[in-house]
Formats: sequence, C-alpha cells, structure tokens
Amino acid sequence: MILSVRDLRIRFGHAAAAPFAVDGLDFDVSAGEIFVIIGESGSGKSLTGLSVLGLLPQGAVASGSIRFDGQELLNQPEAVLRPLRGGRIGVVYQDPLSAMNPVWPVGEQIAEVLRAHGLAGRREAARRSVELLERVHIPDAPRIALAYPHEISGGMRQRAMIAMALACGPRMLIADEPTTALDVTIKAQILELLSELRRELALTVVLITHDMGVVAELADRILVMYAGKVAELGPAAQIMNRPSHPYTQALLFSATMSEAPAKADLPAIRGTAPPIEARPAGCRFHPRCPQAAADCREAAPNLRRLGDVLLACHYPLLNGDAARPGCAP
Amino acid sequence: MSGTASSVTAHTTRLSSTGWPGRVLLIVAWIIAAALAVFALMPHLVAPYDPIFLDVVDRLRAPGLSHPFGTDEGGRDILSRVIYGTRYSLGVAVAIVIVAALIGILYGAAAGMSSRRTDDLLMRIVDLFFGIPALVLALALAAAIGRGLDTVVLSLAVVWWPGYARLVRGEVLRLRERPHVEAARALGVGTWSLLFRHILPFVVQPVNVRITTDIGYALIAVTALSFLGLGAESPTPEWGLLIRDSRPYFGSAWWYLVFPGVMVMVTATVCSIIGDGLAGSEASSRGA
Repeated sequence: MILSVRDLRIRFGHAAAAPFAVDGLDFDVSAGEIFVIIGESGSGKSLTGLSVLGLLPQGAVASGSIRFDGQELLNQPEAVLRPLRGGRIGVVYQDPLSAMNPVWPVGEQIAEVLRAHGLAGRREAARRSVELLERVHIPDAPRIALAYPHEISGGMRQRAMIAMALACGPRMLIADEPTTALDVTIKAQILELLSELRRELALTVVLITHDMGVVAELADRILVMYAGKVAELGPAAQIMNRPSHPYTQALLFSATMSEAPAKADLPAIRGTAPPIEARPAGCRFHPRCPQAAADCREAAPNLRRLGDVLLACHYPLLNGDAARPGCAP
Repeated sequence: MSGTASSVTAHTTRLSSTGWPGRVLLIVAWIIAAALAVFALMPHLVAPYDPIFLDVVDRLRAPGLSHPFGTDEGGRDILSRVIYGTRYSLGVAVAIVIVAALIGILYGAAAGMSSRRTDDLLMRIVDLFFGIPALVLALALAAAIGRGLDTVVLSLAVVWWPGYARLVRGEVLRLRERPHVEAARALGVGTWSLLFRHILPFVVQPVNVRITTDIGYALIAVTALSFLGLGAESPTPEWGLLIRDSRPYFGSAWWYLVFPGVMVMVTATVCSIIGDGLAGSEASSRGA
C-alpha cells in the first residue's frame, strides 16, 4: 500500500455540531495503480485529495490518519510536508490557465519546482525543464519553455502542468479534475498521457473526478463518494459493469446516456446532492434513491463486503438489477 | 476581489468612460508631470535666476517681462523660486510616499503571509499607528530632533506607512487563495518564493495607483507643515514656506502668495488625475 487512509474526517471549525464534509473515509491505494475517486460536487472528493498534502483550506480541521509509504501525513508541520509536495507526490490541478503563474514563462515555472527541491541549479533546471516538456510530448519544447501560459493552448498548458508535477520524479500523482477544463479530444489525449506515464514511470495516480467517462478510460479501482462517505469501493471493471450501489448505477446511466445522441429526456439523478449542513438521516442517498425503503430513512447502512466490492447500501443491486426492498440478502 | 475591484471601477469610470475629455485631461496631466520632473531634477536649466539671489532694489516687484511671477521681499525671482521649490516640495512628498510604501509592503506582506494570530497582532499595531495625528507627531519630532525637511519626511512616513501595510496585507490574503499560488505551494515552492515570485508581482499595480494618488496628498501635507513652520527653513524655496513668507505682504503683493499656491494645487491635481488613470487601467487589466 503506497497510500492508506483511515477514518479520515474533515470539517470546518472545531464546533461539536459542525458537520463532517468528509465523514469517516477508509481506503488504500496500491503502488502503480490508477485509483479514481468519483463523486458529485460537495461529496468531499477534492478535500480528500487536498488533505493528503496538507493543502486544506483555512478553517478545515482533519482527523484520522493518512499514511504515504508508511509515513503519517495528516496534520504534520509544513517542514515535513513541504519536501513531499512536488517531491514524492505531484499535484495536477483542474484549470491549468489559473494554476500557472501568468508572469513567468512555462519552462521557468517547471525549473522553479526543481530549484525549490534543491535538485538543480539555475542552468541545469532550465535544461531539465525542456526535457520534461518533451517527456509529456510537447512539440518544439525549447520554444514552448520560453512561452507564457496564455500563449499556449489549453491542452499544452495541462501537459506543462503535468511536467511540473513530474519534475522531481514523484512516486504518486494526485490529479484533481485534470480534464474538466478541457474539450473532449484534448481530454482523451491527457488521459492517454496519464496512463502512459503510469506505465512507463511506475507512477501511482489518484484521479479525482466527477466524470464517469474518465473512469471508464483508465481506472484500476474506483471509490464512489456520496455526501462525505464511501458509497462503493472496488475494482473498476466490476463497478463499471455491475454496479451494486443505486447511486453508482445512476452515475453510470447519466454518463452513458449523455454520450448518446439526444433522445427524449436527458437522464439525471433526481434531486441534488444534499448540502453539508442538511444531510438526511439514515442513508444519505435515500431521498434520491429509486430503491429506498423504510429502513433506508432510519438507519445509515454500514460498509460491507460483497465479493470484491465494499459497499454501503441496505438493498444492493444484484447483477445490475434493481433489488426489491424487502427481499435483499 | 470583486469588492475592491468594483469600488475601484466605480471610482474611475467617471474619467475613463467620458471618452476623449478624460483622455485629454490625462495626457495634459502627464505632460505637466513631465515638466515637474524636469523642474525637480534640472531646475538650473529652466529657471531664469538664482532662487536665493538677493536684489533689494527689485523687491516685491509685480509680474512683468523680467520677472514673470514677480519678486519677493528680498527681490528674489518667484518663478525661479517656484521652479527650484519643486525639488523640495515634490521631492519630499515622493520620498515620504516611497519610504511609507516600502515599509508598508514589507510589513503588509509579512502580516499577510503569517499565521492568523501573528497577523492579528501585526494589524493591531497598524491600528495604533493609524491613531497618531500627523501634526502632533511632527510637532513632537520637531521639538525632539529639530525642524527641517528630514523631520517632515520622518513624521509623515510614520503616519503614512500603515495605509500601505493594510492595502498590501489585503492583497496578499486575496492573492494567496489564487489557484496559481495554491498550485505552486502544492508542488513544494517555499514561502519566500511564493511571496516574491507568485504574490508580490500582482501587488505592484494597486500599490502603484496608491503611490501616485498619495504623492498629491503628501505634497499638501508637506507644504502645510512648512507653512506652520515645522518644515523647510528660509531661504529654501519650498512652496509651503514661500506661502508662509508671503503672508505679511498679502495685501500688496498677491503674486507672492498665489504662484506657489497654484503650484501646490496643480501638482496635487495632476497626481490625482494620473492616479485615477492608473486605477482605470488596473481595473480593466483585472477584467473588472
């Protein structure tokens, strides 16, 4: 296990009544896999990613444990975390235009990461930054290295961001919605690049997304989050083909349908994800769940094992079929 | 961001949206500013006479061909004194604002980058400085270290820097949340690099606007202190001092009072117009 998260809880403020945005999360990521965390906005997926490197927004309080290579990361001082940031764990953000500094050339920003970790002097860092741009398949890298972020295309910028994240040869990459700001063809190229890098550099990738399309392309394992909790966690193939949780099924259904030509209605999960301060009692998904029964409204389902999959549902779907309330195992 | 940016635009649209009259005004202001810079840096090239040369025969002469702005009670040419005075009045005002801005930027950046508790403490100290009245401080300093333009610079810089500290701290707090700063931090860039390479470059513009506008206010403060006898000493041709010296002759020699006064007014107005212009271009470059 390269990364193991235990009972991770994150909330804003110390007040006992403050709700947990991330509410008791457990998962492991093994070395070399592509681990996808998927969920709607507000599910706590981004907070989970940020907490690994101590990058939570001000006011957020985290408890539990996050171990990377056996080393505890949660609530550690900056002095411990800083060498890891960009050093052993790289981060790629959603919108490369706003995530790059507009006043410095692209190559200089990659070189800065190398210098910040004391891996290269000024000249060496500049040379390596061109190599890194070539590594992520940017054509004419020496010229692009001297260009400013606004002078290159969105896809190039995201490649350059990935080059920055890879500069110090990290073992793990956390990518927070890396393709959301890109159009479809570019998106496919960036995903292809991530999967190539994983293969060739034996990189572990934690991919945070709300896009089932991304998951289908490259996930090894999937964690489906809903309202701060695990809904379903397991091998990608099984979850994609035979989702057990009604929420996963609904997500998959919206994804497949949105890629098909417009038919009658756009399928959507009815309702919206509950705001963090007004989560329903019982199973948090029950107001939107087509299978919800009486006990779903009262008791929160515990996480339990079903084959290779961990899942939190009173009435899991069997073979992709809706299980009827009352006749569940 | 939207809060500060929109108040800046609301403040400046008056000038920038009026189209050509605003632009012409701005161009005129820049031309006058250039002339003032020449006056301050190379007065000997422009002034017709030595500003402290006494000529008792020609005392209190009305404006005419040989002395376009007239002469004072010592027969000194007021045009020359006003031109040389730019160096003292405007120079001192610029010095005050630059010193205040440097202190304020360092202090504000330190507060903005520190933990919440340190930040709170640092800003309470700033609040204390806001409470110091410039005039009383200038009087006290003049009593303690003697009057003179350096006392003026010291006392005004002391009351002026907190404004920059507050401005810069606010900008730093706002910019710290910018995605590119977060991203640089996430890749291990250290606090100093974050501040100097990723945050301060974006503070330059609002500080620039503030400096330009403040030079006008500082000028008025400098001349006021000199007028009260706390600043420059005779025969330094400082504008405030010229106005002070002209008082006994106000009834008979209007030019003695009016021309230095006009210089103060014009210079302060030019600073305000240029500051407004810069604020307008800053707002548009922010996309506001």
